[in-house]
Amino acid sequence: MSVEPRPLLSVEKLTIEIGGAAVVDDVSFDVAPGRVMALVGESGCGKSLTSYAILGLLPAAAKQTGGRIRLDELELSALSEREFRKARGKDISIIFQEPSASLDPLTTVGSQIAAAYRTHNDVSQAEAYDKARQMLADVGIPDPDRRLHQYPFELSGGMCQRIMISIALICSPRVLVADEPTTALDVTIQAQILDLMKKLVSERGTAIVLITHDMGVVADIADDVAVMYAGRVAEIAGVHSLFAKPQHPYTALLLASVPTLDDLPKADLATIEGRVPTPDEFGAGCRFAGRCPLVTDKCRIEQPPLFDCGDGHRSACWHIDRMHEIVEVAA
Amino acid sequence: MSDPNAHVLEMRDVAVHFGGRGGLFGASGQVVKAVNGVDLTIGRGETVALVGESGCGKSTLSNTIVGLQAPVSGSIRVGGEEVVGADRRKLNDIRRHVQMIFQDPALSLDPRSTIGATVGEPLKVRGVAKGAALKQRVGELLTQVGLRAEHADRYPHQFSGGQRQRVVIARALALEPGLVICDEPVSALDVSVRAQILNLLVALQKRTGVSYLFVSHDLSVVRHICDRVVVMYLGRFVEIADRATFFDNPKHPYTRALMSAVPQADPVVQRGKERYVLSGELPSPANIPSGCAFHTRCPLATEICSQVRPELTPRDDGARVACHHA
Ligand SMILES: Nc1ncnc2c1ncn2[C@@H]1O[C@H](COP(=O)(O)OP(=O)(O)OP(=O)(O)O)[C@@H](O)[C@H]1O
Ligand SMILES: Nc1ncnc2c1ncn2[C@@H]1O[C@H](COP(=O)(O)OP(=O)(O)OP(=O)(O)O)[C@@H](O)[C@H]1O
Ligand code: SF4
Ligand code: SF4
Ligand SMILES: [Mg+2]
Ligand SMILES: [Mg+2]
Repeated sequence: MSVEPRPLLSVEKLTIEIGGAAVVDDVSFDVAPGRVMALVGESGCGKSLTSYAILGLLPAAAKQTGGRIRLDELELSALSEREFRKARGKDISIIFQEPSASLDPLTTVGSQIAAAYRTHNDVSQAEAYDKARQMLADVGIPDPDRRLHQYPFELSGGMCQRIMISIALICSPRVLVADEPTTALDVTIQAQILDLMKKLVSERGTAIVLITHDMGVVADIADDVAVMYAGRVAEIAGVHSLFAKPQHPYTALLLASVPTLDDLPKADLATIEGRVPTPDEFGAGCRFAGRCPLVTDKCRIEQPPLFDCGDGHRSACWHIDRMHEIVEVAA
Repeated sequence: MSDPNAHVLEMRDVAVHFGGRGGLFGASGQVVKAVNGVDLTIGRGETVALVGESGCGKSTLSNTIVGLQAPVSGSIRVGGEEVVGADRRKLNDIRRHVQMIFQDPALSLDPRSTIGATVGEPLKVRGVAKGAALKQRVGELLTQVGLRAEHADRYPHQFSGGQRQRVVIARALALEPGLVICDEPVSALDVSVRAQILNLLVALQKRTGVSYLFVSHDLSVVRHICDRVVVMYLGRFVEIADRATFFDNPKHPYTRALMSAVPQADPVVQRGKERYVLSGELPSPANIPSGCAFHTRCPLATEICSQVRPELTPRDDGARVACHHA
């Protein structure tokens, strides 16, 4: 992470518990305006819960038990549900993975976008529709006039995702949280949506928190990356630094397990032995200890803090000095 | 399989349509031409990848091969035996040799059966193993796919989506079939698990000579695992080539667009690469554009493209491509 403007969104030591287990544990990251922060990691590592906490949308079973989240001067974690409702859409918005599940099937898409606009703006229905039409054009939907009057089932998955993006962006929020926004889409449509997000960042200075498990998507669009493992940040770095020189065994193995253009056909890919611990299996030590080729007794006893490796690149590992051994394991 | 010299799979001019022909909705319904005039041969120990956008007909084609869907025309031979029009008993026999791994593990597992019962079912039904031997084989299969033998007593809901997909794979592998159709088998899996499953599929192929028809939209996975690639667009094959030819010299404009759209897991490569972003989306297969079906999105389209449908024609390097201008 090179020299950055002041953060717009700041997540500090966020801890979320479910049934007494810290499923998100001491997670911190900052996002500046016009930057894309990617949260990556395996299924269940706490990416979605982190994003829901930012939006004040944690499920009933989950409690934020520590840390705070700030948007500029606004302390999000201190907001009441009513105040949060005011902030959502206007200051901060979210798009989910399954567009069809988050749209109302019985309402035209135009009226859903217009309603989102009117939540925060005292305008007539006609003005809101004008705004919606403009928004559809901005997200690259051809023939917006016709589309406004259609129902979600009449649109493809890619178009529904653009409708979701339109709803999320109609009030020009400063922060957009995108939880796997392209996972359900075809690659050609994914490429269009990623390009659209890049445009937002450069033209509107939107700060984006992008949740994904696709390292290709990260490589395409992220400025910074936080790699999460079992609820904690394992490594956080600028995107180029992370891919060029991962400083955490988990990240290095993860990257090595993705097939690349240089692989020999049908050659063995690197794998990570074992599985992610469930929350009731979290011990006192490093949560990756059960699968890590570099593990020592110290790792099993004591949780590693995030160490600074220079240039804003940080890694939560006791044995960063032995990372070269991982490169050999992975090769 | 009956004829050891026959191809594992041989399809000739296969078409699969939905709706439109009598039935509840009568002839007024639109005909969805999901698969149209497709030829495909798969050899022993070969992996053929089938790629293309959502709705282009990949699953329909897969279902037709295993006999879950009847074609309106064409011939499908599995190990030399004709599937089309075969009676139930013959189909049943053919199915033993062709197994399928579906896209969505949640839909292919019975929530009320333990995973041990699920994985062991084909072995039991075919009388391959029973009692302690069955239990041991199930344990081996589970271990092979990265689960544990003790997991046999658990139910699907006690597993993650990725683990459930491993159960599905274990069951498909139980009878060591000649051809496994893998319909997006790793799309729902985490990256590290994905690598394990891909390694497993490759290892199994090396050991048993099984062939795969591997349906995927992830070209880096395809490049890793396949010997040959088939690209499908709106129910037709538009390019077929060996792996090396395909990746070194993709020819069809749609293929090139797909390749450019798949993000590479390397920021330097990904940000430096030439972009070739397609506009628009896949047209409806109930209303396939005239001429070359890709002409509505193709950057190279000219007048002839909307009038004359290009046939698959062989090129110097062995690839076959359906395009007037590539
Ligand atoms: N409503 C809930 N009730 C109980 N546990 C939950 C709930 N939501 C999440 N969890 C648990 O919290 C942990 C983190 O879940 P989260 O959804 O944040 O993961 P994720 O990283 O988004 O995973 P995925 O990639 O699968 O979306 C997991 O162990 C999950 O099982
Ligand atoms: N039972 C059916 N009745 C009517 N139309 C169908 C049926 N099954 C599939 N189709 C249509 O046939 C076309 C091809 O579908 P298919 O499921 O084969 O696509 P696919 O390539 O597997 O897509 P995906 O990548 O989304 O799985 C689609 O337009 C689909 O809507
Ligand atoms: S702290 Fe120890 S167990 Fe954890 S990642 Fe580093 S070396 Fe591995
Ligand atoms: S035939 Fe024409 S429209 Fe079709 S792919 Fe070739 S150039 Fe494009
Ligand atoms: Mg999630
Ligand atoms: Mg399919």
